[in-house]
Amino acid sequence: MSKYKNIELEVVSKQKNILDLNTLDEFRSSFLGKKGSVSIAMKDLGKLDPEDRKKSAEELNRIKNSILNLVKEKTEQLNEKLLKERLGNETLDVTLSTKSTYGTIHPITQVIEEVTAIFADLDFCVAEGPEIETDYNNFTALNTSEHHPARQMHDTFYVDSETDGMPNVLRTHTSPVQIRSMLKQEPPIRLIAPGRTFRCDNDQTHTPMFHQVEGLVIDKESNMGHLKGCLEIFLKTFFETEKLKMRFRPSHFPFTEPSAEVDIGYEKKGNQLAIGEGNQWLEILGCGMVHPNVLRNVNIDPEIYQGYAFGMGIERLAMLKYGISDLRTFYDNDLRWNQHYGFSPLTIPTLFGDLN
Amino acid sequence: MKFTMTWLKEHLDTKIANEDIIEKLTSIGLEVEEINDTSKVFTDFIVAQVMEEKKHPDADKLKVCKVDIGSKIIDIVCGAPNVEKNMKVVYAPPGAIIPSSQMKLKATKIRGVESLGMMCSEHELGISENHDGIIKLDDNVKVGQSYAEISGLDDVMVEIGITPNRQDCLGVYGIARDLSAAGLGKLKSEKINETKSDFKSPIDIEIQDLEKCPAFAGRYIKNLKNIESPEWLKKRIKSIGLRPISALVDITNFIMFDINRPLHVYDADKVKSKIIVRASKKGETFQGLDEKKYDLDDGMCVIADTEKVLGLGGIMGGVESGCTSETTNVFLESALFNPISTAKSGRKLSIDSDARYRFERGVDTDSVIMGINKASKIILEICGGEASDVLIAGNIPNDKHSITLNFDRVAKRLGINIDQKEIIKILNDLGIKTSEINKEILCEIPSWRQDIHEEADLTEEIIRIKGYDSIPTLNIRSAEKVNKYILNESQKRVSRTKRFLASRSYNELVTWSFTSAEESIFYGDTSKLKIVNPISEDLDILRSNLLPNLVSAVKKNILRGFDSFSFFEVGNQFISSESGGQKSIACGVRSGIKQPNDWKDQESHYDIFDIKNDFIDLLNHILPQKNKLTILNEAPNWYHPGRSGTLLLNKTIKVGYFGELHPRISSYFKIKNRINAFELFLDDIPFAKKKSTNKPNFGVSKFQKVFRDFAFILDSNIRGEELIFAALKVDQNIIKDVDIFDIFEDSSLGNNKKSMAIKVTMQADDRTLSESEIHDLSSKIIIAIETSTSGSVRS
Repeated sequence: MSKYKNIELEVVSKQKNILDLNTLDEFRSSFLGKKGSVSIAMKDLGKLDPEDRKKSAEELNRIKNSILNLVKEKTEQLNEKLLKERLGNETLDVTLSTKSTYGTIHPITQVIEEVTAIFADLDFCVAEGPEIETDYNNFTALNTSEHHPARQMHDTFYVDSETDGMPNVLRTHTSPVQIRSMLKQEPPIRLIAPGRTFRCDNDQTHTPMFHQVEGLVIDKESNMGHLKGCLEIFLKTFFETEKLKMRFRPSHFPFTEPSAEVDIGYEKKGNQLAIGEGNQWLEILGCGMVHPNVLRNVNIDPEIYQGYAFGMGIERLAMLKYGISDLRTFYDNDLRWNQHYGFSPLTIPTLFGDLN
Repeated sequence: MKFTMTWLKEHLDTKIANEDIIEKLTSIGLEVEEINDTSKVFTDFIVAQVMEEKKHPDADKLKVCKVDIGSKIIDIVCGAPNVEKNMKVVYAPPGAIIPSSQMKLKATKIRGVESLGMMCSEHELGISENHDGIIKLDDNVKVGQSYAEISGLDDVMVEIGITPNRQDCLGVYGIARDLSAAGLGKLKSEKINETKSDFKSPIDIEIQDLEKCPAFAGRYIKNLKNIESPEWLKKRIKSIGLRPISALVDITNFIMFDINRPLHVYDADKVKSKIIVRASKKGETFQGLDEKKYDLDDGMCVIADTEKVLGLGGIMGGVESGCTSETTNVFLESALFNPISTAKSGRKLSIDSDARYRFERGVDTDSVIMGINKASKIILEICGGEASDVLIAGNIPNDKHSITLNFDRVAKRLGINIDQKEIIKILNDLGIKTSEINKEILCEIPSWRQDIHEEADLTEEIIRIKGYDSIPTLNIRSAEKVNKYILNESQKRVSRTKRFLASRSYNELVTWSFTSAEESIFYGDTSKLKIVNPISEDLDILRSNLLPNLVSAVKKNILRGFDSFSFFEVGNQFISSESGGQKSIACGVRSGIKQPNDWKDQESHYDIFDIKNDFIDLLNHILPQKNKLTILNEAPNWYHPGRSGTLLLNKTIKVGYFGELHPRISSYFKIKNRINAFELFLDDIPFAKKKSTNKPNFGVSKFQKVFRDFAFILDSNIRGEELIFAALKVDQNIIKDVDIFDIFEDSSLGNNKKSMAIKVTMQADDRTLSESEIHDLSSKIIIAIETSTSGSVRS
C-alpha cells in the first residue's frame, strides 16, 4: 500500500477540473508548484531513514512523471482545440479582388534590345550619334551630294543652325553614325546603331519620327556573301523561325555599291502574317557593300578595306513580329495600346533565354 | 515608270512568258510595284448589238432592248439616253464584275421586266469619267468579240520603281535593253532614217549659258496639222494612264516614255525671231503649260525669244508658245540640260514634271539626235508638213569613259568567283565594250549609263545580271573578337533605367523629339529650338524638356477615360539646335489615383513623395554604391515652388529635379489632379568606379540594437532633415539610423509650432551598450537638436 495513495487519488480527482490552459496550470502547480503536494513530499524525504527514503523517492518520482506526462498530453489536446477554434473563426472571402499595377516597356525599346542581343552575339557593338546632324554627315559624306535625286526622297527637317554654311538637319537615317564611327575608329569595325530618325512626312504609313538600326562592318575581307550570312542569322533569330526565306534584290543607295533590298517570305493568314511561310515577299531592309567614296570620305583606303552596311526600320520589325497593324499607334501614347503591346520589364531579351 | 508588255515587245524580241519577264524585272533591280492585267479585268465583257428598243411599260426614262450577244438574243432594261437600234455596245453578262464599282452583276427584274446583264458606259468600265451614255462601238466590230481585244485593253500594264541611278530605264527601250542583257530576248535595233529636208530653219538657236544647256538641237516643221492622234498612239498614251491631247503633244510624250528623250514643240508662229537659251533674271514671270504663273529668280535656265520667256529649260514649256489645234508651223526642241541646275530650279518653283525627273537624273547624250529624228518622222507621218534641216547649238558632250576592271577585286567584293568569260558577256550585253589587258579589262561605258563611275559600279552590274541569288551565304563568326564591349556604360544605364521604372509600374512612352512651342512656354526659352519646316504647327520646335509631351499624354489619356497615370520616357532633350546640342534625360510623371476606393482601402492619390521615392531609388539603382544625396529646396519655375526639390549627388553634382508641376501647367491643360514629376540627367551622373568585382567585406554587429524615441516642439519651418542630421552627428559609429515617425501641428503647441518625433537606432559594433551609455547618448541627442533647431524636447 503506497504511502502516497492520497496524492494519487488527488491526481485522479483534480483531473476533472482541467478545462483550459489556466486550470491545467493550477492542476500542475497543486502538485509540482512550490507548495504542491509532490514538492512538499519531496522536501520531506530528507527526514526519512535511508532505506525508506530510497523507496519513497522512487514512488514520488513515478507519481511526478505521471503528472508531467498527463500535463504534456493535456497541453497538446488543449492547444489543438484552441487552434481548431481559431481556424474556425478566421475565414476570409478570398474571392475579393486585389488591384494589380504593372508597368510596361514600349515595343520600340524591346525590339531595339532584341536586335542588340542578336548582333551582340555576332560581335557587333552599339554606336550612337546625335539627332541633329550636319548636312555633311547626313548626306555628303554618304556620297549624296547636294543635288542628288536621292536627297529629294528624304523629306528632310531643317533646324535653325548651320555647320560650314549648310543648315543642320534632323538626321533622316541612322547612316551618319557610320561616318562618325569610322572617323573615330580604325578598322576592323563591327557595329550597329539604333536610334531616332526624322522625315517630314505624315500619313497612314509614315510618321515624322521613326527608328532605324544601322549596321556596319569594315575590315579587309567582308564581302557580299558575309552580308548575306549576317542578315540570314539575324532575320532567322529575330523572327524566331529557321524556315525564314530571304531574297536579295538589286536596289540603289548612294552610300553602297552594289546595293540590295532584302525581302522575306510570308503568308497572310486572316489578319495575321506568318513569317517563314507562303510565297509572298515583303521588303524588310536595305543593304550593300560600303561605297568606296564613303570610305574615302572618312580617310579609309578602299584599296585595302571593304565592308558592308545595312539599315532597317525598328517599327517595321516590331509590326511584323508582333502583328501591330498601324504605324501611327506607336506614338499615340494610348495607355490601352501600351498595356496591350508593351512588354514586362523583366523580359530582358537574351539569346540564352527568350527574346521577348 | 509604267509600260505595257505589248509596248515592251516592240523593242524586245522574246518568246518568254509575261510572268517570267515580270519576275526578272525585280531580280535585276527594276522592282515591279504594280501589275494590271486588263485582259483579266475585261474577260467577261463582249461586243453585243441592240436589235430592238422600246419604251419600258412602267417607267418613262427606261427602255427595254432586245440585244444580240452572239449566242442568243436577250432582254436588257437600259436607262442610257443614247441607246438606239443597231448600235454596237459593250455587254456585261450576269456574274461580271463592274470595274468602277467592283459590283457583281446579277440577273434582275427592273419594274417587272427581266434584265439580263447590262450595256456599259466608259465610266462603268473605269476607262474615263464619261457618264453620259453607253459606249457606241465602231460598226465594223463583230458581235461576240472580246471587248479587251477590240479596245487594245488586252494588255498587261506594269509599273516599276526606278531607283535614282537608273535613268537609263526611264524609257521602255532601256528596260528592253536591260532585259535583253539578262538573257530574256533580243533587243530589236531601230534604224531611223534622217528626214530629208530642203530648207533652212527660219528660227535660229542661241545658247547664252552653255553650263546650264550644253546642247540644243532644233528643227522647224511647216504646214502641218495638229490633228487628233491615230488610234495606235492614243492606245499607247492611254495604256500608261495618260490622257491623249493632240498629235503633237502625244508624240512628244510617246517618245519620252519610249526612248527616254524629253522633247518640246513650240508653235513657231508665236516665237519672235529666235530661240535664246539663257539664265533668267529676277522679276521675270512665266506661265507654264499647267496654266500656273511662276515668278522666276536669277539664274534659272529659260528658253526665250527676243521678247519673252517661252519655257523653263528641262522642266516645262509655256502656255503662250504651246501648240493648239490651229498650229501649223512648229519648232521642235531636243536639248540637254544640266542636272543640278534643273533640280535647283524645279525644287525652287515646286514643279515636278516628267522632263525635270529625267534631266535631273541625267539624259543619254546620244538621244539628242535620235530624239529629233524619231519625232520628226512620226510628226510628218501623222501631221504632214515639211521639215527643215536640223540645227545644233552648243556641243553634244561625249559621255563615254573607260574604267579598269580587275577580276580578283570583283571576286573579293562579291564573295563569288564568276567565270571571266561570263563577266565579259554580261558587260557586253549591257552595251559595255571590253578589251583585255593582262589580268584586267578596260570597259568603255556607253552614254546612257551615267551612273557607272568606277569598278564598284561595274561589280554591281555584273552581279545584278548574274543574279543576287548566286551570292553564297558565308559565315561571319570569327575567333578574333572585334569589340571589347557591346554596350558602353551610358547605354547600359539607359536600359536599366527603363526596366527599373517599368518595374515600378510606370508605362514607357516614346514621344516625338519635337513639341509645341505654345505648350512649352512653361519650360524656359525655346526660341533657338525652332524647326525651319515643321510637320505641323503643334510640332514646331525641338523639345527643350520631356515634360510637355508626357503632360500632353496625361491629358490625352484623361480624355480616354483613365484616372491613374504613371508614365516615363528616356530620351534626348535639346539645349540648342547645334549638332550634339542634346542631353539624355529620364523623365517620369505620376498623377491621379494611386489607390482606388475599394472594399479594403480608401482612395489615395499620387503625391510628391511617391515620385521622390521612385527618383531616389532609380538613382541608387543605376549608380549602385553608397550615394551621398542632398536635397535642395528649390527647382526650376515649372515646378510648384513649395513642393519641389533638386537632388544633389556628393553635394556638388546636380542630378535632377522632382516635385509637383506648377499649378499653371495643370490648369492650362485643364487637369484637375496634381502632376508629380521627376527629371534625371543621365549624362551628368558619374559612373561607379569598378576596381574589383569583390564587394566590401560583410561585417554586421553581433550586439543588441537599442531604440529610443524623442519628440520635439519646433518652429514650423524647421525641416525634418535638420533633426536627422543633428542626431546622426552625435555619434556616427553608434547612431545607425534616425527616422521621423510622427509630425503634427496643433494650436495647443503655440503659434507656428509643430511637433516632430524621431526614432533613433543605436548599436555598437564591439559591445552591448550599457544603460548609462544610452542615457548619455540620449541627452546629447536632445541637446544637439535643441541647439540646432532652437526647439525643445517634449517630456
